[in-house]
Amino acid sequence: MTLVAVGLTLILLAGLAASREALFRILLGAGCLTGAVPALAVLAGETVRDVRVAAATPFGPWVFGLDALSAVFLLAILSVGAACAFYGLTYLAHERGRRPVGAAHLLLAVLVASLALAVVARAAVPFLIAWEGMAIAAYLLVVLEHERREVRRAGMIYVVATHVGTLLLFALFAIWGGTGGTGDLSFDALGAHAPFSAGRGGMILAVALIAFGLKAGAVPFHFWLPEAHAAAPAHVSALMSGVVIKMGIYGLLRTIVLFGAPPPWWGWVVLALGAASGVLGVVWALAQHDIKRLLAFHSVENIGIILLGIGAGALGLAYGHPVIAVLGFAGAVLHTLNHALFKSLLFLAAGSVIHATGTREIDHLGGLARRMPATTATFLIGSAAIVGLPPLNGFVSEWVVYQALLRGVSAGDAMQFAGLAVVVLAFIGALALACFVKVVGVLYLGTPRRTLATDARESAAGMIRPLVGLAVACVVIGLVPIAVVPPGLRVGSLVAGLPAATAGLPAAAAAGPATMFTIALALSLFVAWGLYVALGRRGQPAESATWGCGYPSPTPRMAYTASSFAAPLLGVFRSFAGVRTHRTAQAFATHAVDPVLDEVLVPAWRGARTAAAWLRHAQRGGGGLSRYLLWVGAAVVASLLYLLAVGRNP
Amino acid sequence: MTAEGLIAVGLLGIAAPAVPGIAVKTKSLLTGRRGPPMLQLYADLAKLVRKGRVYSRTTTLIFRAGPVVALASLIVAALFLPLDGREAPARFAGDIVAFAGLLALGRFALVLAGLDTGSSFEGLGASREVTIASFAEPTMFLCFIALVLAAGDLSLSGMLGTPLAAAWPHAGASLSLVGVSLFVLLLAENSRVPVDDPATHLELTMIHEVIVLDHGGPDLALILYGSALKLTLFGVLVVSVLVPRAGLSGPAALALLFAGLGVVAVAVGVVESVMARVRLVRVPQLLVGAAALALVATILQLR
Repeated sequence: MTLVAVGLTLILLAGLAASREALFRILLGAGCLTGAVPALAVLAGETVRDVRVAAATPFGPWVFGLDALSAVFLLAILSVGAACAFYGLTYLAHERGRRPVGAAHLLLAVLVASLALAVVARAAVPFLIAWEGMAIAAYLLVVLEHERREVRRAGMIYVVATHVGTLLLFALFAIWGGTGGTGDLSFDALGAHAPFSAGRGGMILAVALIAFGLKAGAVPFHFWLPEAHAAAPAHVSALMSGVVIKMGIYGLLRTIVLFGAPPPWWGWVVLALGAASGVLGVVWALAQHDIKRLLAFHSVENIGIILLGIGAGALGLAYGHPVIAVLGFAGAVLHTLNHALFKSLLFLAAGSVIHATGTREIDHLGGLARRMPATTATFLIGSAAIVGLPPLNGFVSEWVVYQALLRGVSAGDAMQFAGLAVVVLAFIGALALACFVKVVGVLYLGTPRRTLATDARESAAGMIRPLVGLAVACVVIGLVPIAVVPPGLRVGSLVAGLPAATAGLPAAAAAGPATMFTIALALSLFVAWGLYVALGRRGQPAESATWGCGYPSPTPRMAYTASSFAAPLLGVFRSFAGVRTHRTAQAFATHAVDPVLDEVLVPAWRGARTAAAWLRHAQRGGGGLSRYLLWVGAAVVASLLYLLAVGRNP
Repeated sequence: MTAEGLIAVGLLGIAAPAVPGIAVKTKSLLTGRRGPPMLQLYADLAKLVRKGRVYSRTTTLIFRAGPVVALASLIVAALFLPLDGREAPARFAGDIVAFAGLLALGRFALVLAGLDTGSSFEGLGASREVTIASFAEPTMFLCFIALVLAAGDLSLSGMLGTPLAAAWPHAGASLSLVGVSLFVLLLAENSRVPVDDPATHLELTMIHEVIVLDHGGPDLALILYGSALKLTLFGVLVVSVLVPRAGLSGPAALALLFAGLGVVAVAVGVVESVMARVRLVRVPQLLVGAAALALVATILQLR
């Protein structure tokens, strides 16, 4: 724990030294490395003693600890945090003088430190402090470009959503620790309250699901996510999408650790939320033209995959299948880590494109592969990883989730029906492939559609290096599943509350052959390419224009656009897809709306405002003070009459 | 990984170009034509390999890597199929996910290679290909679920090997449905009638052929061989489900497999002669129909 504390201190110091770039780099890098050492040690099987601050702190002692669950999240936070912070130095460099760039770096350091604090906190009060620190730092970073109206709107939606979540967390801890009488809200004390009566337990789990689901961005609580992620600077979007929303997943898993086995209904609800988030997330992503909103909706999709894992795990616990439980939770945790890596990679690479071209509109770009080769290569690796293609890291974690669900198929009780979620997972994977083919194809391949893409230049090395680092992490995890699956299973058995040695064995045994498979695949791709190059050496290839089926002068305007690419799929989903089409005599355009935010929440809020305005009119309008006093008098008389009616003295 | 298993995969690789040849021959004979020789594709491949290469000025490395990655991933996928009816050269728990992932990797590479040309024809084909695949992949996993239920194993070797033979007596009806569903999937994944017409010469109506419109010479040879191999791999899936061969000796099982592949190819040809291509918007419905069959197969086994 000392090392974690030292690491966090260094990160905060780095934030204070943000005006000196070299010092910021050294301190932040050192801080992240120092914090990562104990996390790796814990994942390798060591145990770390808790730290208790028992002085007169409210609501019991403040405890900090590092177990395998905290460690895997800490690792994701520190690695992605470091990459985003380094990237931000270059990304914001040209803004120096126009914006408070130093403050932005400081806030990023605060964000990373509070994220890390949230996962090592073992008591409600420090957890909530870290949670709020994270929410506020993230809010201030989201509104960095506050002169734009949509940024302020996104920031407001985000801050309201996150505070609703925080309020629910207050409620959660109050319900959970309420009847104990000691007022001790350390996690150990909370864990000791279990088991609960069905009613109170159900209340705790439902509140936890909504509060943490809101943070994670699961459908239908995702409405804030695409807004905030599109508005923030690229490295902040990367950190939010990669790590901040994962705190919701951490919260859910921690709840299961402390609560014990949840009842079946909770597992089914989580599974259903996962399926809905996964499918709707990717369908909505298909409809987007804005690269950052598109990536944000893919975060919703991946949260869905993670929730499918958690749901399978919870149902495995509820129906008494320890192997499924461990595999489900392990898959969820591994996918959390992997998604942190490839999603931040994708956001940073998208940031590189935005930096070079000044637009987020996919359909204005094209042909960037020749102009920005490093960005293209890393984005391609991130795309293949998020789609779950072997031999990259997305495949490894999806394989574990698939195994949990497929084992459910032959489990022989209600778990069988959970196994059918395999189909949903396959559907999500195939749709994600369609979406990323669209993005890569329209953004990087073909010909530039506007001059801003023609003039694009590769970004500076300071932005490329973090991209390469994250891409290497994706490839390495993908190539060596045996390095991550056993630690993942350890975390999974911790969440399931089962001994690590027995439960996950079959899958742990399969990690070896899976590693052989991924390495063999990588080798055969390598050999095939080598053979192709060697055999194709004779004769210089000729160059020509693309075959236009006889049409001699193709123009970039003829190239397939993102809208046309996604049209057949969106046509199938019609009403779910959230696409508005505008058709006039000369033009046809589609634009994406969010079905929850634009069609439910905003109208509901308008309705509430209209009702409130009517109420205000009834209260004070026209008559002024005398009408107001009349209402007060009427209220007093009504209360007195009520008390008279129930027969008690005032 | 046994030598026999690798030899079997090698034989399959050699035989693969004959499978589409049989389908074409069947169709020609049924429609009253002579048609090209059954082994025409071998001659085409030999000719293409010797040709020079022409690349569009728009393309990048992705265009050249596409066919290579697509073929390599299919060859690796072949290693997971138990060709002798018992054991594949490679297996692990959940390798069906790897099998599906490899097919997806091949598709990803090929479709991106098409988009690399910047032509709207390739864009059209790419869009259709991924749309159809979005419905084909869940269907494939539904078939796998039914097989997992029947065989109780999470690897292709288990699902299509000895446990499947043991499951036939009590799950025969269900497994037949899976076979039919996989056959529809074969037609869709390999761009055959009624999903796509491989014989058409109008770019706007094609799916697979239009993605590779700009590939020529050795690159096209890789693609043509890859699509023959993909058709063969799906044929192996269909034959393995419908004709469990675990009781036979190795060579006999292999011989039966090749005979079965011939029958599948003839069936593809028959379908092409008696059916027209369905409208593109109907293709998802066709695949959902196949998925419904697989779902019925699953429900039949739920107890």
